[in-house]
Amino acid sequence: MKSSLRARHPWPAFLIRRLGRFVVSLAVVVTASFAMVHALPGDPVRGALGLMAPPETIAATRERLGLNDPLWRQYLDYLWNLLHLDLGTSLDTQTPVREKMAQLVPATLQLGLTAFVVCLAVAIPVGLLLGIATRDGRGRGLHFGFGGVTGLALSVPDYLVSVGLVFVFAVSLNALPVAGLSGPASFVLPVTALVVGPAAYLARIVRAETQRVLGEDYIRAARAKRLPARLIYLRHALPNTLTPTLTVSGMILASMVAGTVLVENVFAWPGVGAELVHSVLAKDYPVVQAVALFFGAGILLINLAVDIAIAVIDPRSTIKES
Amino acid sequence: MSWSRTRHHLSSPLGVVTVALLLLLVATAVVAPLLLGDRATEIAGGALQAGPSAAHPFGTDALGRDVLTRTLVATRLSLVLALLVVGIGVACGLIIGTVPVVLGRRAGRVVVAVLNLMVAFPGLLLALFLAMIFGVGARGAVLSMAIAFAPSFARLTHTTASGVANADYVSAARLLRVPRWRILIRHVIPNISEPLVINATSQVGAALLSISALSYIGFGVQPPQYDWGRMLADGLPAIYTNPAAALAPSIMIVVAGLAFVLAGELLTQVLGGSQHGHLRLPSLRSQRRDTAPAETPPPGDEVLRIERLTVTVPGETAPFSPVVDVSMRLRRGEIVGLVGESGSGKSLTAMAAAQLTSYPNVAEADVHQIKGNELRRMRPRDRERLLGTSLAMVFQDPMSSLNPALKVGRQLAEVAETHERLSRRDAWRRAVDRLSAVLITDPQARAKQYPMAFSGGMRQRASIAMGLMAQPALIVADEPTTALDVTVQKEVLGLLRRISRESDAAVLLISHDIAVVAENASRVLVMYAGRVVEELPVSGLAEATHPYTRALIASIPDMSTDRSRPLANIPGRPPHASDLPPGCAFAPRCGRADDRCRQARPELADSGGGGAVACWHPLLPVLESEA
Amino acid sequence: MLELRDIVVRYGHHRGAVTAVDEVSLTVAAGSVVGLVGESGSGKSTLARAAVSLAPLTSGTILWKGAVLDPRDRPPLQYVFQDPYASLNPRMSVGASIAEGLPRGSGRRERSARVTELLEMVRLDPGDVHKRPRQLSGGQRQRVAIARALAAEPEVLIADEITSALDVSVQGAVLNLLKEIQTRTGVGILFISHNLAVVRYVADSIAVMKSGRLVEHGTTEDVIERSAHPYTKQLLEAVPTMTMGGRS
Repeated sequence: MKSSLRARHPWPAFLIRRLGRFVVSLAVVVTASFAMVHALPGDPVRGALGLMAPPETIAATRERLGLNDPLWRQYLDYLWNLLHLDLGTSLDTQTPVREKMAQLVPATLQLGLTAFVVCLAVAIPVGLLLGIATRDGRGRGLHFGFGGVTGLALSVPDYLVSVGLVFVFAVSLNALPVAGLSGPASFVLPVTALVVGPAAYLARIVRAETQRVLGEDYIRAARAKRLPARLIYLRHALPNTLTPTLTVSGMILASMVAGTVLVENVFAWPGVGAELVHSVLAKDYPVVQAVALFFGAGILLINLAVDIAIAVIDPRSTIKES
Repeated sequence: MSWSRTRHHLSSPLGVVTVALLLLLVATAVVAPLLLGDRATEIAGGALQAGPSAAHPFGTDALGRDVLTRTLVATRLSLVLALLVVGIGVACGLIIGTVPVVLGRRAGRVVVAVLNLMVAFPGLLLALFLAMIFGVGARGAVLSMAIAFAPSFARLTHTTASGVANADYVSAARLLRVPRWRILIRHVIPNISEPLVINATSQVGAALLSISALSYIGFGVQPPQYDWGRMLADGLPAIYTNPAAALAPSIMIVVAGLAFVLAGELLTQVLGGSQHGHLRLPSLRSQRRDTAPAETPPPGDEVLRIERLTVTVPGETAPFSPVVDVSMRLRRGEIVGLVGESGSGKSLTAMAAAQLTSYPNVAEADVHQIKGNELRRMRPRDRERLLGTSLAMVFQDPMSSLNPALKVGRQLAEVAETHERLSRRDAWRRAVDRLSAVLITDPQARAKQYPMAFSGGMRQRASIAMGLMAQPALIVADEPTTALDVTVQKEVLGLLRRISRESDAAVLLISHDIAVVAENASRVLVMYAGRVVEELPVSGLAEATHPYTRALIASIPDMSTDRSRPLANIPGRPPHASDLPPGCAFAPRCGRADDRCRQARPELADSGGGGAVACWHPLLPVLESEA
Repeated sequence: MLELRDIVVRYGHHRGAVTAVDEVSLTVAAGSVVGLVGESGSGKSTLARAAVSLAPLTSGTILWKGAVLDPRDRPPLQYVFQDPYASLNPRMSVGASIAEGLPRGSGRRERSARVTELLEMVRLDPGDVHKRPRQLSGGQRQRVAIARALAAEPEVLIADEITSALDVSVQGAVLNLLKEIQTRTGVGILFISHNLAVVRYVADSIAVMKSGRLVEHGTTEDVIERSAHPYTKQLLEAVPTMTMGGRS
């Protein structure tokens, strides 16, 4: 039970609470990316430059990176530099990390967002229609067929879908480009690889939600009013499926972010994900830190956006305790 | 879970496939390295990266080794790594997940907040960064994945455990001063283990995919060791010369992943998740029973007439009928009560009367007329219109029968928009007017609110107002006050009576509470085990002739019950509709039953005084139907 | 005897705080049946839960025979919950559930004899001892819950809406059983219900709660025949009765 004041003006309280959580989470992510370097076993500089590097170079690099300062000092410097968008210098290529990121981020965003839009556009209508067609246990064949197809799509991970697509379209049919970013055609395979699993998952959720909502009393009441089917499904059922759909969509976008890492690798996509693998193997920790911040902040932003969108659609959620 | 049920699930197609796959995987993991271990590392003199041939069905790799052999041998390492990930992850998750319960509120909240934050990040992504710390290699990959997987398992543990910890049976055990450890062992763990075991099983599949992914990008298993992911990484660059070298490990990863996902689903079924196995659906075979009795023109004031209504529902072995041969007639302005215990079929009857029987249930009746129109002979559009304007429905739970996502006014207005083609504005105006008719104060403002802002009684009145949007001739009220407080109940029933009086609508009032019916209706139908066993005017309730009706009345204490005497009660419990005795369904609980009752079912017959009863030995000696 | 003195239960903080029970005092004398009536949200269940510390006490004292209850002692109070489908562990047999209430330290044979005795007392077949709750009907489950509470040999039993989840034809039998046990064992009962007619049938005295406050308390006869508070009168009027008058 809530006080009447909060029930009447839930928005400011909700926003303060939610933004507060975002800021705290972001601080955790920033600190974690800082701490990561110090959790590395051994000397990170030696690890990056290799065992053959002359001791003077290592000492100079340590000094340049401030690794000889006390920890609190390093942390403050790190925060200060972040505020100035100074992400340091790559140990591998000796170029500023910011420049590197500026080239990589757009490619990853293009890939990820395209995949997300395609996923929603496919999964939501399919889930809704199947939910309606299989309500109350109708259409058993359809029910099992859908379960089987989505189940299979879910159990093949994106990188194996990529391999399969490369094999079919590039090796066997020689139809589509398999590497790099070069025009719209180069999106087809990586986007497909990213979409298959999440779309199957989302379609399952939307269908289950549609079935749940169609079993609710208010749908029975709408049927008792003898409303046409169009109104029952679109006006009475659909809005009630949106909240869970949005929540899952946010999770899917976050998982697609992770998916880009592997898919970019298969398709040699010039994005953040491919760079992450390379820089981890090269122990190029300033780059790894920057990528961690990009992914971490990105996922937190997605969650924030989803919660606010849910609050707009369903005002009840603003007065729920977090 | 009984053994027979387990066997039933194991012998289903899903069970057979799953068990076969798992056995095959385990056998390969055990045997392949022993038999083929040497061959897998043997650098044959043949071609490097050769395509499939008789000697090498999947070709050879970059060093000329046989791909098929290596794929089979790699099964062991791939499975072991996945099991290690889940093992370590589950152990950590269990500890972290139970910490909040042990630590108490405040510290627990911090742990939960951290878990929630970590769960927001996809596990694979976490693992990629952790790999930086743990270093590349099988050990690093397993630790990274396990730590990345632990938070989600911890959260599952926490939510499941706190659900059980708040259960009434745990409270009861605490009051009995059962020691904490005993509560944990006897009450909490047995009730949380199922979802956790199921989750952990399907997570083995997910871990297998993730570990393979790590190996594939070079974070995991390093040469000369090899798992499927490593083989994929080695085979992929050569996909143009020998695609089989990449496809063989891919197929194994998919098959093994699928095996564990299926195992998770199978466990869910075996451990009691899904109850609905193969239900036998009722068919529409006799939907058109043309043995209808001779059409007698209905009296002008007859609103509802139903003859021999039967509702059939799916059953495990065969469909069965929880409602059989129910007939009723309602005249204008009349309130008729339909009384019965749960499972008597009264709600299914109400739904069928309102033509709201939903798939897969099937309702059939010889006659089903509303205002003299035989519904079965009408075109669907005309029928919907007739029902939309002359029939109103009030459901039991006003908390769930109004759509939470639509404004109350909108939900009323749409009735008039749909059936009377009123403009949005006129329909809204009428909605406000009807809300005020059911005594909702400030209807203008209330119409613009969502149901959330209404109290229970107000919602039920709004539901009634919804029925008043047209000119209802019949209101079907299915337990309209069961979910309400007594003072509100009185209000809502008063409102229904007033509407019936003022608009001359008939009301079919369904209730489990015979007192509610006695106060509000003029006639009562008593249902038992799907049939009407007695029909009588309310004024005759005290002299009800069916032993069940009598006992039902006597068993409910009211304000004049003698407190010094035990309440009458009916021994036993009502039979299930799928398992009815051959004779009178009430006979096993009836003190007056004899062999005749147990063998032959009495039909509903006139009992004098305007009533009818289905009993071989009715209580009033007035009518010796038997003699 | 059980004495609840100035009990306050408040949830939430600051502006959002809700007072569920507001300075209620109530006494259950040994061997008496006190009925507690109220509508949903009146705080009647919260008060009872607070008495056995299932709800947090904001202020007030719970006295047992004049002394503050020591939480480490074997409690003289036991609780029977509303929903018999939730109050029995689905994984434990009937016998094991009941045996949990027995005092520790007795031998195996002694315990099983006592379980049989309790099953007979609540009119269940002693052969049901190995059954799981899902094999029983709602009424039978509620009997098991009562037997489990009685196993602890409580001096006061709190019965919280114990018949509202049951069918009407079963309700009577459970009420009869409760009265019979009361006469036989002399246990005091705090009987909570929203149904005034049921409370009238079971209780010697009746307390009426509304919005967290006690509005009336007296012998059953007084409250029913000569109710002082307008809310009690309103409740009385709302009870449907088998007037058989009918309305046509």
